[in-house]
Amino acid sequence: MSLLKLTHLKVHFPTQDGIVKAVNTIDLDIEENGKVGLIGETGCGKTVLGLSIMRLLQPDTRIKGENVYKGRDLLKLSEEEMRKIRGKEIAMILQNPTTSLNPVLKVGDQIAEAIRLHQGLDKRAAKEKVVEMLAAVKIPSPEKRANEYPHEFSGGMRERVMIAMALACNPTLIIADEPTTGLDITIKMQIVRLMKEVTKQRSMLFITHDLDAAAEICDNIAVMYAGELVEYAKTEAIFKNPRHPYTQGFLNSLPNRGLKPIRGMSPSLIGIPNGCRFYPRCDHAEAACKIQHPEMVELGNGHFVRCLQYDRS
Amino acid sequence: MYAEYIIKRFFYSFLAFFISISITFSILHLMPGDYIHYLAPYLAEVNPEASELFRHQFGLDKPIIEQYFIYIYNVFHGNWGYSFQYRVPVLKIISEKLYWTLIILLPSTFLSIVIGIFMGAHFGWRSGTKKDLSVLNVMIFIRAIPSYWWAIMLILVFGFYFNLFPLGGFISISALELGINYLDVLHHAILPIFTLTLCSIPGIYYLMRNSMLLTVGEDYIITARAKGLEERNVLRKHALKNAMLPMITMITLECAHMITGSIFIETIFSWPGLGLLTFNAILARDLFLLQGIFLICTLIIIIANFIADLSYLYIDPRIKVGESA
Amino acid sequence: MLRKKTFAIGICILVAFSIIAIFSPLLTPYDPYKIIETPLEKPNKNHVLGTNALGQDIFSRLIYGTRATLLIGFIGALVSISIGTFVGTVSGYYGGKIDEFITRAIDIIMTIPMFPLLLVLSIFLTPNMLGISVLMGILGWAGFSRIIRSQVLSLSEYNFIYSVRAMGARDPYIMAKHILPNILPLVVVKFVFAAQNYMLMGVGLGFLGLGDPSMIDWGQMINCAYTNGGFALGMWWWLLPPGLSIAFLSIAVSLVGYSFEDEINPRLRRMVS
Repeated sequence: MSLLKLTHLKVHFPTQDGIVKAVNTIDLDIEENGKVGLIGETGCGKTVLGLSIMRLLQPDTRIKGENVYKGRDLLKLSEEEMRKIRGKEIAMILQNPTTSLNPVLKVGDQIAEAIRLHQGLDKRAAKEKVVEMLAAVKIPSPEKRANEYPHEFSGGMRERVMIAMALACNPTLIIADEPTTGLDITIKMQIVRLMKEVTKQRSMLFITHDLDAAAEICDNIAVMYAGELVEYAKTEAIFKNPRHPYTQGFLNSLPNRGLKPIRGMSPSLIGIPNGCRFYPRCDHAEAACKIQHPEMVELGNGHFVRCLQYDRS
Repeated sequence: MYAEYIIKRFFYSFLAFFISISITFSILHLMPGDYIHYLAPYLAEVNPEASELFRHQFGLDKPIIEQYFIYIYNVFHGNWGYSFQYRVPVLKIISEKLYWTLIILLPSTFLSIVIGIFMGAHFGWRSGTKKDLSVLNVMIFIRAIPSYWWAIMLILVFGFYFNLFPLGGFISISALELGINYLDVLHHAILPIFTLTLCSIPGIYYLMRNSMLLTVGEDYIITARAKGLEERNVLRKHALKNAMLPMITMITLECAHMITGSIFIETIFSWPGLGLLTFNAILARDLFLLQGIFLICTLIIIIANFIADLSYLYIDPRIKVGESA
Repeated sequence: MLRKKTFAIGICILVAFSIIAIFSPLLTPYDPYKIIETPLEKPNKNHVLGTNALGQDIFSRLIYGTRATLLIGFIGALVSISIGTFVGTVSGYYGGKIDEFITRAIDIIMTIPMFPLLLVLSIFLTPNMLGISVLMGILGWAGFSRIIRSQVLSLSEYNFIYSVRAMGARDPYIMAKHILPNILPLVVVKFVFAAQNYMLMGVGLGFLGLGDPSMIDWGQMINCAYTNGGFALGMWWWLLPPGLSIAFLSIAVSLVGYSFEDEINPRLRRMVS
């Protein structure tokens, strides 16, 4: 059953230089207990998509479409109703724990805040819960660490704190934004293992540009390019049989697959051209690609792709 | 770690005071015609005992290096020289006037910090709204007009035309018979306090608003919202403390502005504090007294700085591990 | 849009004041120093703002006073911004021991209250108007140099500085050709605010009786009106014009400064717009 269903989601911000079309007509389903990896380069709109689900973008952002969570459209909720969902039903692990933790508050208090807010526990009970959470994310001597400040933690430990904070109220859905970025490889694998463990009974949207981490955790992978999805399939299918030229290029750019970068630059999200957005960088481009914007087509077995090669309608 | 931090801060404060003393000493001895030697015979005329004491205290017949050390010794022992205008030791008259200055300075410092911080935080948090921009413009306007002009205008309007407050001074004439009445003094103090507060709010407001503008965009604010915190708690528990951090140093710098402001405001309101004393000392060209006022201002700011440094210990957890302040 | 408008208004007022300052002799009906009338005349058709206690034409003095105020602001700002920019650039660019020393020194200097010191020094040196401006500039650079330093520090992290350094460019060259142009907008903003500050301070000194007695300035005019009873006697035409002039001028400079600051500070701009 679908837990979160995004339909025709569009997120646009007005800026001085023009309208940034960060997310364009995205359709995405997250099943109950399903883990979806959202893959893409920096600046393709992944983070904005995550924040728009939580409705954490600036008030002047224009969001269109539907975000149906457990049968309710999150975009139609009042701010107060939405607030009760944040942290409790849907929790978010923001990218970069160094800046995402408040430097002047004790780590334990930052975790306790959500617990006290959503579960109505008193100070002492919340404190016990905090220690329990820190232990759950495998932070050694949690009683002591709860009373320390973020700057006393290492990068990997801060990431664990972020995870503990997200798990604190036992949310149904977790949106994790680049939780493995900036960590060295051994720490990264520990975090990936931890994420896998703590999301056994939950759904997750795992936003990353780290394909290996996504492969480890997710059952489905959505590939995003310039504000839209270009491919969606089972994790295995993406790795074994990538169909979109961008996905193929992305895979080839990985270190263990030859480190061949995709030529060109990812496009600006202001004034996006008609036609296929990947066209200028694509090795298979044809004349039609420049004019006609391809639609998402299903190739069977839950494998969707947005490319004119397959779009013969 | 605490001790080391405090000692370090104390050392720098001491150094600042030391430099101030050196400046005043140099001025005394660079003064054309040698001010002290000029002053000594003058003193001898009006008060031979004081003159003798003075000569002795400042070691006028000794070499200059020795005089320097004697001077420093004197300053630390409260001998700040002799006001030839009032014919009393400088520190004595300053300590009398300091009391009156603090009656004005402390409430307006407190009020302007509280109001400035509150308004800056409030509008910085909701920046870009119509209200925010109009408040910003009003503050720029208040800031642009010098304190002495505000003082004159406010006296004209509230004292002269509406007759709500006295035109100046600190007690009514009736106090000569009835004795000093606190309410009467308060009545005289309100307008100066109001003026100094008014002139000091915009600076603090503007700094706080900018600080808040930077804090609003921080990632941990989004984290706090993602937890489902109410907006006012995000502001109160997460943004305020962080935005306050850079403010503490800024506020002590503003203190210097406030002291400057109080010089003008006291002069115009004829309030018998350090400001009016400064004005009269300028008229009389009473250099020793002015130097004393300069030293006491340095001390006030050093104390304010020191309080600020100590409060960082409570607010900023990062100082504990010895990272730079 | 609003910002551009306020900027334009501010500039226009400033230009108007400058024209008044430059062409003072042409705009004044009387010699501002000459005693031409009975003292304390009310405004009349010969004397728009009446005469002061000495019998000098107040309007003429008001016009001439523009010169002193503008000059004090300009020279004071020029001195303090030049020193501040130099020290801040050197400190931020070289880093290390030099930076540490300068930063500490500035911390200490900033603890010393400049205005009381300015008063002491004015009594001691009895400077003329140029001297007063330079003195204010010398006392006031520390704060700017701190701001400039942090800006230079953030610039030094950019790669282009490394690459010009790698090409063998000499430090003074890099500072002048690569760093200065980048901090220039900030320097200009700080210059505008410094000028405003020194104008107010200059008039303030005049008010306290420390102005250059050979010059006509608004501060001395306010002082004169104030101490000679222009205030208590309700002679508004004596007291108000110089005060309103400095307030008006200061607001104009503010408008220029704040709109410019908005323009160069992208973070503030995004939030404000």
